[in-house]
Amino acid sequence: MSNYYDMPKLPTAESPKVAIFVDGQETFVPGDTNLLEALKAVGIETPSICYHPFLPVSGNCRQCLVEQEGPRGRSLIISCFTPVSPGMKVFTPKTSLRVKNARKATNEFMLVNHPLDCPICDKAGECSLQANYMESGHDSRLRENIGKHYHGSPDHAFIDSKGQTRGGKQVVLGPRVTLDEERCVQCDRCVRFMRFVAGDEQLQLASRGDSTYITTFPGQELDHEYDLCVTDVCPVGALTANNFRFQQRVWMLSRTPSVSMDDSLGANLWIDHNHGKIWRLMPRCNPEVNRSWISNTSRLAYLNFDKDRLEAAPIETLQSTVFAAKKVAIVAGGACTLEDLAAIKALQESLGAKAELFGGTSIPVVEPDGISKSGDPLANRAGFKAMQVPDANLQELLQKISDFDTLITIHSDLIGEDPTFEKLKQIPNRIVLSAFKDCTANAATLAFGVKHWTEVSGSMINSLQILQKLNAAPTAPNGDLKPAYQVLFALAGIEITEVSAAWKQVQDRIPTLKAYQRDSILSTGLKLEGVV
Amino acid sequence: MVRQVKQKPMNWIEKLYIFEAFRGLYVTLKHALRGVFRYETLPTVPYPEQKPEINHAYRAKHRLMLRPDGSPRCVACQMCATACPAKCIYIEASTSADGRIEKSIQRFDIDHLVCVFCGLCVEACPVDAIRMDTRETSYVHRDRQSFITSMEELMDWDPKDYPEDDFQSQVAPGGKRNKEALDSWGLKVN
Repeated sequence: MSNYYDMPKLPTAESPKVAIFVDGQETFVPGDTNLLEALKAVGIETPSICYHPFLPVSGNCRQCLVEQEGPRGRSLIISCFTPVSPGMKVFTPKTSLRVKNARKATNEFMLVNHPLDCPICDKAGECSLQANYMESGHDSRLRENIGKHYHGSPDHAFIDSKGQTRGGKQVVLGPRVTLDEERCVQCDRCVRFMRFVAGDEQLQLASRGDSTYITTFPGQELDHEYDLCVTDVCPVGALTANNFRFQQRVWMLSRTPSVSMDDSLGANLWIDHNHGKIWRLMPRCNPEVNRSWISNTSRLAYLNFDKDRLEAAPIETLQSTVFAAKKVAIVAGGACTLEDLAAIKALQESLGAKAELFGGTSIPVVEPDGISKSGDPLANRAGFKAMQVPDANLQELLQKISDFDTLITIHSDLIGEDPTFEKLKQIPNRIVLSAFKDCTANAATLAFGVKHWTEVSGSMINSLQILQKLNAAPTAPNGDLKPAYQVLFALAGIEITEVSAAWKQVQDRIPTLKAYQRDSILSTGLKLEGVV
Repeated sequence: MVRQVKQKPMNWIEKLYIFEAFRGLYVTLKHALRGVFRYETLPTVPYPEQKPEINHAYRAKHRLMLRPDGSPRCVACQMCATACPAKCIYIEASTSADGRIEKSIQRFDIDHLVCVFCGLCVEACPVDAIRMDTRETSYVHRDRQSFITSMEELMDWDPKDYPEDDFQSQVAPGGKRNKEALDSWGLKVN
């Protein structure tokens, strides 16, 4: 097998349109991409196993066959590796029985080496092989042979109670990923991911031909900041994430599109939840932001989202403290959405000269990793700038401690991030609006529980100046909890319960956003020009 | 279509009412005396003392089928919980201790107050792990919590109560075919 493949060229809005003939009909498709993507752009789905839009094309599964008319008649080609050329004549199963049968045969051969354990497979419901099987038709001449051939590592083989050779059901690849060798279809997506995206070749295809299997180098394990992405790219249930393995079946989950608020790239997320509990975070494809990758840090953060949560307190106690204060320091932290920032500005305006704004985080900015992290822990930094909230003046706060008699921190764990902020305990009234019982909340005189960013609707501007939308997943542990912006607007004397009303407040403060309704922001975000 | 039922007109004796009333009393008394002197001819069953004969095909309380070694057959695929229209099945899965089997149940609860006894869970099961042929129809508990039947309770049944040609039941520990099943279960695996 060759060691180098090309990345597929994906169609964009600027792609030139060329005319090709699909099933004898002239169709205008993006001209600078491969045939699979071009057909997808005009609504013709082609089944595929090994093709992934953000991985180099290897073309080993032969599932995406179409027929092309050439000088020597019509021949079967793989659409993922064929560039679009003007005037080419392509035939899909709609008109070509040969394509239909060839795809079905490919699927059958893949199933011969694949166990029929869909009911217990964690990928069932989101499995490409399953979808292709349903598409290609249920009848098969190889039916009695399906799932009868074991092809994993010989070390893991066993004979089951029915006398059939099986094996490799729970191969531990690393601390977070488990491999089922029976289910692997050798598409080598995971190998390509580790090689070309993660840049650390920890997975390999061992052996050859019918007995190929996935493994790590001897004595090493799969352990990388992005290793859980291999469970996403796996088209079947071979690679499973230990954090989600056996927890839920995928069809029982509801999905809410949101944005990760732990990094200023704002990786796009699916929040998968049911019965008020988050079961997993999945990357949401956004070609301009995080493609379809997400780091383990962001992905596994959900494990702590429902732990150590602060309880809501009556807002009157907050009001009496804030309005009795002589000089107030308001600190905005990393997970503040644009709505939160607008509310902070509104509170500052209502308090007048006795309030001073601070913002930022003590966590150092690191280099971007080029995959799904920009390295800046202040997620909404561009939003801070657009809203004219200071984004890096926490040291100033330390110097001016004696000026203030009241401190309000919003989504900001000052003491937890930097213990030198213990000095803030000199301020007599310390109010914390936070989701968690963190160090700052423990040191507070009044800790006020608010909703976490997974539970609020809002918006943020990421480091690429893309305005992105957060949607609320119904997973708040307590019905009394409110979003931070709602509490802050109430303190400022503005009654706001809907996110659309909060968005209007954002628009009032950032005039360039006036043109956009909240509902008109796409799930992949809105590229802003000249806001900051 | 409406069908008119013509009633036979009452004759004058019936119209007098008094004789008919005594005739009704006679029927009542006849059955009361039959209950005292010829009890065995009554078509009813004296319920709590004597249980009615129920067929194995009747959809009664659930049971979980067992492997020859006594572990539950259930592979925790949650097909039954998915198919359940009343959403009364709660399953928690975990990695199986047996390396040959991927998944097993940690918890399997059926809330028999919520269950509608439709039998869809039995239909949905891909490994014949849940059945409703226990012939148990009465559920008597003192609080609602006790109606939630646990995995241990669902696995607590005796193969002797099931027909001998019921292969899957006789494979369980204590059953007629347990030994031969255990041999093939244990031997061929390395």
